[in-house]
Amino acid sequence: MSELVATTYVLPPALVTRADLARLVREVEALDNDLEAQKARNHATGQTGYHMPTVSRGLSDFVELNKLDLGNDQARMLLKERMKVMKDKAPIVHMTFAIEADPASLQYLVAYMRKELHPQALISVGLQPSLVGGVYLRTPNHVHDFSLRAKLAENRGVIQQDIEAFAGVIEVVEAP
Amino acid sequence: MTIWWLAFVVGSLAAVFAGFVWVIVSLNRLQRGGGVGQKSVGALNKAYTDIAEEDATHLFNKEFREELRNRGRLRFEKIIDENAMFLKQDLDMTISQLNEYMKKEISSKLDSEFAAYAKAMHEAQELALGSLQKTAQEVEAQRVQLAEALKKDVAEREVALVKVYEENMAKIVEHYVLQSLGDQFDLKSQLPYIVAQMEANKQNIIEDMRL
Repeated sequence: MSELVATTYVLPPALVTRADLARLVREVEALDNDLEAQKARNHATGQTGYHMPTVSRGLSDFVELNKLDLGNDQARMLLKERMKVMKDKAPIVHMTFAIEADPASLQYLVAYMRKELHPQALISVGLQPSLVGGVYLRTPNHVHDFSLRAKLAENRGVIQQDIEAFAGVIEVVEAP
Repeated sequence: MTIWWLAFVVGSLAAVFAGFVWVIVSLNRLQRGGGVGQKSVGALNKAYTDIAEEDATHLFNKEFREELRNRGRLRFEKIIDENAMFLKQDLDMTISQLNEYMKKEISSKLDSEFAAYAKAMHEAQELALGSLQKTAQEVEAQRVQLAEALKKDVAEREVALVKVYEENMAKIVEHYVLQSLGDQFDLKSQLPYIVAQMEANKQNIIEDMRL
């Protein structure tokens, strides 16, 4: 199913988390309801055409990026259904940082992930100061610790080797 | 000097001759008187008997008895003194011999006792010496064992301390770095490192996300 989703839409860099996607889905549903209501009014009054309501920057980017026509009922219906599916099935990568993540960095990371890893990848952000630096990355089935804490722990042997090498330099004098 | 010797010799010869003459005259007088004596022997004996009878009464008179008593007393005292002296001498000699005997016996007894005592003391000394040597050997063995155990324990403790030190040293340095750099990095500066790590594990992540 994720393969199917991956071949469907391209997500804008500003859409980072699942909450963003859920917000987008709600907006699309609201837009669809609004347009359906206009359609019903037009049908009652005999008018034609839609008055496109104002949409958010995220939805606007999304529509522009995927070259969608929100005025097309069929396309809007398909978008709504697929976005619901995407919301449920899009792969989420949990990324825990040592400090508060700024939006620009998150957008950079999500852009990299969608380019290199998965086009619909989403990020769930966490905060853990003890990581010192780097990221603690959790994919659906695995955990990758790219934190500075893990790097330091991994290199404990270097300190021990240095100490042993230094201990070898010191002359040991036997006690009388 | 010769004249004097001659006078002395002449004088001596004269004296010998005078003595010889006197002896001869005396013998003649005695021969002449013996004739008369043949007649007067009886009278003489009678006279002597009378005198003896007369003197017998005088011989054992009070003074004579007293004299005899004194003489007897003196004689008895003398004998007693002599016997006492002999007894004293015997007694002294006996005492002396007894002393010598006692000295000899006591000396021999003391010598034997001293020899036995010395032998016992020597044996006791050897026993004590042997015991001391044995104790010293045991103490030395225990000291060696203790030294070995102490050396081994010190070596083990040293190894353990070094191991703990090395392990904890890494943790201490790590803790120091964590405390020092905990909030010094902003995320933007970490992005290259994060991306590099993700790039290194890209295939694993992709496969995991496709599942």
